[in-house]
Amino acid sequence: MMFEVSKRWKRALLQVVVTIMVLPYLFPIIVMLQGSLAGEGFENYKAVAEVPGFARFFINSAIISVSVIALVYGCAMLASYGFAKLRLFGREVYFWMLLDCLTLPEVVLLAPLFTTDQKLNLYNTYWAVILPLAALQIPFAVLLTRNFISGLPDELFEAVRVDGGGPVLTFRHLIIPLTRPIAAAVIIFTLIAAWNDYLMPLVFEQATNMQTITLVPQFFIGEFNDDQTKILASAVVTAIPEIVAYLGLQRLFERGLTAGAVK
Amino acid sequence: MATVRQGLGDHSGEAPASSLFVRQRRRGVKVASGLPWILPALALCVGLIYYCIGYTGLISTWNWDGISPNPQHVGFGNYTQLFHDPLFWGAVRHTVVFFAVTFTVQTFLGLTFAVLLHSRIRLAVVYKVIIFIPVVLAPAIMAPVFRSMLAPGGQFNEVLHDVGLGSLAQPWIGQTSTALPALMAITVWQFTGFTFVLYYAAMSQIDQSVLEAARLDGAGNFKVITRIVWPSVAGTTFALATLSVIGALKTFDIPWLVTQAGPDYATNFFGTYIYQEIIQLDNVGYGAALSIVLLMIAVIFGVVLQLWRSRRALS
Repeated sequence: MMFEVSKRWKRALLQVVVTIMVLPYLFPIIVMLQGSLAGEGFENYKAVAEVPGFARFFINSAIISVSVIALVYGCAMLASYGFAKLRLFGREVYFWMLLDCLTLPEVVLLAPLFTTDQKLNLYNTYWAVILPLAALQIPFAVLLTRNFISGLPDELFEAVRVDGGGPVLTFRHLIIPLTRPIAAAVIIFTLIAAWNDYLMPLVFEQATNMQTITLVPQFFIGEFNDDQTKILASAVVTAIPEIVAYLGLQRLFERGLTAGAVK
Repeated sequence: MATVRQGLGDHSGEAPASSLFVRQRRRGVKVASGLPWILPALALCVGLIYYCIGYTGLISTWNWDGISPNPQHVGFGNYTQLFHDPLFWGAVRHTVVFFAVTFTVQTFLGLTFAVLLHSRIRLAVVYKVIIFIPVVLAPAIMAPVFRSMLAPGGQFNEVLHDVGLGSLAQPWIGQTSTALPALMAITVWQFTGFTFVLYYAAMSQIDQSVLEAARLDGAGNFKVITRIVWPSVAGTTFALATLSVIGALKTFDIPWLVTQAGPDYATNFFGTYIYQEIIQLDNVGYGAALSIVLLMIAVIFGVVLQLWRSRRALS
């Protein structure tokens, strides 16, 4: 126990203190829910759902998020295995080249991507958002998974090698199944980053049918002419998938984070 | 193990990999090369990002609208202009204040929650979920909620009236004096959960017997936290400090969507400034110069934090 209270009244007091401390975190959520139901109640939600092309925003966000997750997961797992358990000359040099990208604010990519996308006709395509987002997420994912894989016992890997198993086999039968907890953390972090990203789609997806869920509130501010209740209803609708995904993966996520704790 | 690592000159703290390498060499079995395995990540990440940085550096020496085929070469003109630009220095100031305040408050709150939820609290899962939910919600989606909440007639002022603090009610995001603090409060709301989960995870790994031994020696809660818990999670604090610096430097969504970098540029950050210059004003060259300066600040901070950590690790 980090914090020990033996007396019962002290324990009750602690419970009250924690509850009060948590309230401010709940407040904006309550404001959001309450505001979305003000005035016409559930009619607000109906109005939001009836806006043409609303589903399109969801589908676009889903396509982008799934692609970014697949790219980040694949690249990070392969690279972390290479970094942690294979022979690599100049290991730390490569690692630092990757980690340096961690300090990069995405806005720095704006000018070059803006002009390059126009030259390569990537403007208003999914790739214009998927590639930079994946590139920005890979360093953190590698940092997490490398730590985790380094912690796996070497004896396992030796056993496979003694039996004549090459690195591909090792990767498929050891790395993939054993890294599940940290993979959950990688998937959640990447999902949050990709699904929540605002700047990239704002700049690179100008066509309405390519826009993502984070652009919805702005879209509704135009659509409903500042009708707060409907704007808040749209915020609730767009927040739901994120909350569901988090609640579903919460346990796995915590296990993964504990196992690969950033130390 | 320690001697092997030193012998290899590897101070990365990664014992398993290097010791494996040594062991395998001794047995004469060759471990496969890792290079092909790291290539996809390097190609995508390093390739795209370093290309962009190089290209940004080039553009930063131009006076360019982003379209014209013949940009005007101005050398370091954009950079000299930048150092005389009050908006640039304003963004620097806001970023520094923003980092110092949000990092301190988040560390304090995250640590407090982690300690308290590691003690015998009922319904700990419920608290954990409530604190973490803001992390998964997109700032862009929450922005309209905060605009409504912090408006002069918004819910926050209503609550102040209800609890008898009505005299404190004010247009929080509509005046220069409170706009930046309001954005910092939103950021703390959003990211305490992240700080909390990392500390919570790090604390799970503290050896319980050490804590018990300290208690047997008569150490109280306060002493246990300051002398044992805080030093053992120093690595996490370092990681969070790094992430907070980066977070402050790339702040965009919240100031852009809640206050539009205003009123009167009171909440202008690098992100919002660069966006305005490149996308709205077509000053792509100037925006690129701002980006390069931003990047240099980020790298300098990265190096400083790294040095601080390695010195701490040595002592």
